[in-house]
Amino acid sequence: MTDITAGHSERSRWEAFLHALRFLLAVLRARPLFALGYVIVLLVIVLAIFAPLIAPYEPEVANPTDFLQGPSWRHLFGTDATGMDIFSRIVYAPRIDLTIAIAGTMISAVVGSFIGAVVGYYQEGGGFGSFGAGFVMRAADVLQAFPVFVFAIALVAIFGQSLESIIAAIAFVNAPIYLRLMRSQVLAIRNMRYVEASYVSGASDLMIMLRHIIPNSMAPILAQLSVNIGWSILLTAALSFVGAGVVAPTPEWGSMIAMGFQNIITGQWWPSVFPGIALAVTVFGFALVGASVEVLADPARRRALAGTLRERKKAA
Amino acid sequence: MTNSTGNRWSLDRRTFLKGTTAAAAAAAVPGAIAGRGALAQDRASTLAIAAPATPQSLDSEYDVSLGTFETVAACYDSLVEFEKIVDPGDPDALREDIKDYPNNPGRVNMKGKLAESWEVDPDSQWVRFKLREGVKSNWGNELTAEDVVWTWHRKLELGAIGGFFANTISLKRKEQIKAEGSHVVSFNLDHPNPLLLKLQPNLYNPIYDSTQCKAAGGTDDPWAKEFLKNETAGFGPYRIEQLTRGAQAVYKARDDYYGGKPAMDTVILREVPTSANRAQLLQGGAVDIAQYLQPLELVQLANAPGVSVDTIPATFMLWIELNAKIPPFDSIDVRRAMNFAFPQEQVISTVFQNLASPLTGCMPDIYPGFNAAYWEYGTQDLDHARELLKGAGYGDGFETTLGYNAADATQETTAILFQSALREIGVNLQLKKIPAATFYNNVSERKQPMIFYYDSPWCPDPGYSMNLYFHSKSFINYSNYVNLRVDELIDGAAQTGDMDARLAAMDEVQQIVMREAPWVFGVFTNYSMARRSDVRGWTYYTSNNIRFQDFSREA
Repeated sequence: MTDITAGHSERSRWEAFLHALRFLLAVLRARPLFALGYVIVLLVIVLAIFAPLIAPYEPEVANPTDFLQGPSWRHLFGTDATGMDIFSRIVYAPRIDLTIAIAGTMISAVVGSFIGAVVGYYQEGGGFGSFGAGFVMRAADVLQAFPVFVFAIALVAIFGQSLESIIAAIAFVNAPIYLRLMRSQVLAIRNMRYVEASYVSGASDLMIMLRHIIPNSMAPILAQLSVNIGWSILLTAALSFVGAGVVAPTPEWGSMIAMGFQNIITGQWWPSVFPGIALAVTVFGFALVGASVEVLADPARRRALAGTLRERKKAA
Repeated sequence: MTNSTGNRWSLDRRTFLKGTTAAAAAAAVPGAIAGRGALAQDRASTLAIAAPATPQSLDSEYDVSLGTFETVAACYDSLVEFEKIVDPGDPDALREDIKDYPNNPGRVNMKGKLAESWEVDPDSQWVRFKLREGVKSNWGNELTAEDVVWTWHRKLELGAIGGFFANTISLKRKEQIKAEGSHVVSFNLDHPNPLLLKLQPNLYNPIYDSTQCKAAGGTDDPWAKEFLKNETAGFGPYRIEQLTRGAQAVYKARDDYYGGKPAMDTVILREVPTSANRAQLLQGGAVDIAQYLQPLELVQLANAPGVSVDTIPATFMLWIELNAKIPPFDSIDVRRAMNFAFPQEQVISTVFQNLASPLTGCMPDIYPGFNAAYWEYGTQDLDHARELLKGAGYGDGFETTLGYNAADATQETTAILFQSALREIGVNLQLKKIPAATFYNNVSERKQPMIFYYDSPWCPDPGYSMNLYFHSKSFINYSNYVNLRVDELIDGAAQTGDMDARLAAMDEVQQIVMREAPWVFGVFTNYSMARRSDVRGWTYYTSNNIRFQDFSREA
């Protein structure tokens, strides 16, 4: 016996996927900057995954005989003060930068969003829950009162200079952002009819939050994620630049800029300029992706964009 | 390495760009613009120096920060100093004559400063100084024997850095320093000490104006600790006119200096923390001297118009402490293997741009008694290093950590080169960048398995150097090295006036140390003076700093 319902459901999902894909392609055609963002991010991810195949040299092996060579066919982006190939190191760098940025951002998003949901859910209920929510918000105020960069340096100094410490520092300084975003969404959603209906039907608070509130509050969180990954890459680079990030000679853009900036004055600009460009382009790419997600994840803006696309199609 | 040109005022596009860049750098520096104004007013007699830091304290008893010793050298005088000679490699530079003179009293070639003459016991158990008469301090008080006595009593009483120097020349009790007249003072030891005269010119041993110090300190602070932190009270050629920590220090030449007023009436020591900015200021003509530049900057400046770079062998040594109390560096073979793996030639040619030479011994090679014959690590030999590791039970290699100073770019690049070399013999070296503020704490705690150290012993004597770094009880034996024979030889040499016997003993110490390798022997770095070409008179001192009174400007 053939399960006609299941086959129909699969077809529907496939058609929905194709529809979404067509819509996305239409959006990217209409907004080429969004497309550029996705291309940059994809490129960076490809570099991170296939670095050993792309890089012509080992990224952490010094070669003094090729000390501070300018860009050439042999060394596309030149070499640094220890003779390491700048291009190879730039290709390997996303492995570190993306790992730190994505891990730090995801941890902060998960932890911050969950706390934000709990705070938002209980804030207006009165009693101990309301008091606790107020306390958490004031604690977040205190955390956000510190300059983020100084705070991150202090955290790395306390926990020691390691990959885990930098991820923890980034997660810690970002968490209040997600906490606030989620809390504000939950405050708006928790009094909706479907939430009340769920409550009346006997669902627990945790169930209501997990099944009804959090899924419907995710749009701004998703938009923030991409922007935050770009910003975290920047923070990672900044920490490395001041010596609080990854240890030398790990290929990381900020660390490479720090190692090379002394040479700019003596005319060897390439050890720091190329990693600087790579860093800037990557952050720009994530910012563009963030802007696109912001539009696509917001139903109202998405509908408006779809309308615009339809009108353009008709006009064409 | 010298370059100069007479055409200093022609303006082309390149000069204009360089000038504007320097102006931008100057604008970023506190007080720089004001300083440039001062230069314009009286350039001939004003010396502007870009330094990494201004002095923190002016009291060398407690402070060893950059700038403190420039201040001490300018504002204080010692009893005697080494005679100066033209540097054999650089006719534009003078240097101290620190050779061994077997027929001279104390076997040194010295001249009087605050002392006009002196007598030394042939066995080095006492020395008597006759002081100059009519010498005035910057407070107007006349130099007497009481000033010398008070100065050394202060060291014994406070027991800080000066206490170390008193102990090094075997001064234990106050009565060992005697005023034998208003202008005669003697040092009398219980046993011979060969450093009795040699340590007098050391910058840690300036003579204070005791009258002023006593008056300023009063009964609450009899040794004027607070006063000397912010003020100078000496008999040197300059007085400090202004000290704005973190910005600049200004010095004025004294009209009443007994040796004649220095050529440079005003000296401005300006804090410019980044070496690239210091180099730019010098290149643009905003300062006359830029201190402590990176090797690449020096090479570039050597070709810049209007700038001269003098670079000569010095007492600077860069090495890596191998902590003999932390495995695997408790094994002599492992320590030797590290030396055979060190890429010395590559470090010299790339990191130091050939402004350095191999550290062929465990003391400065310009000091009497140095012997390079025991140096066996001249060529990187990874196969031999592997054999030594295998013999020591580390055939599969090991993992360890190397600490380096975040403020010293040469240490990071040297560390990376060493890391790559060690990887080939199975040693996984993790690099640990340590902030400059805590670096020396890390060194002195002696808890790092490997850590860079950059130093120079400020007394041209093999016994002094060996005692500093290799005696098991020395507080700067940072490698925790212990060898009882070495201790015995150093202790013996410290208590004899027989220089030939001392030289033989120190030769044996060098042989043992080089064999047992408590350091990775790095490099001797040159002292490089980057200056405007019209600034003349630079003299190299074993203390590796400058003395303002040496400089004049060519008309």
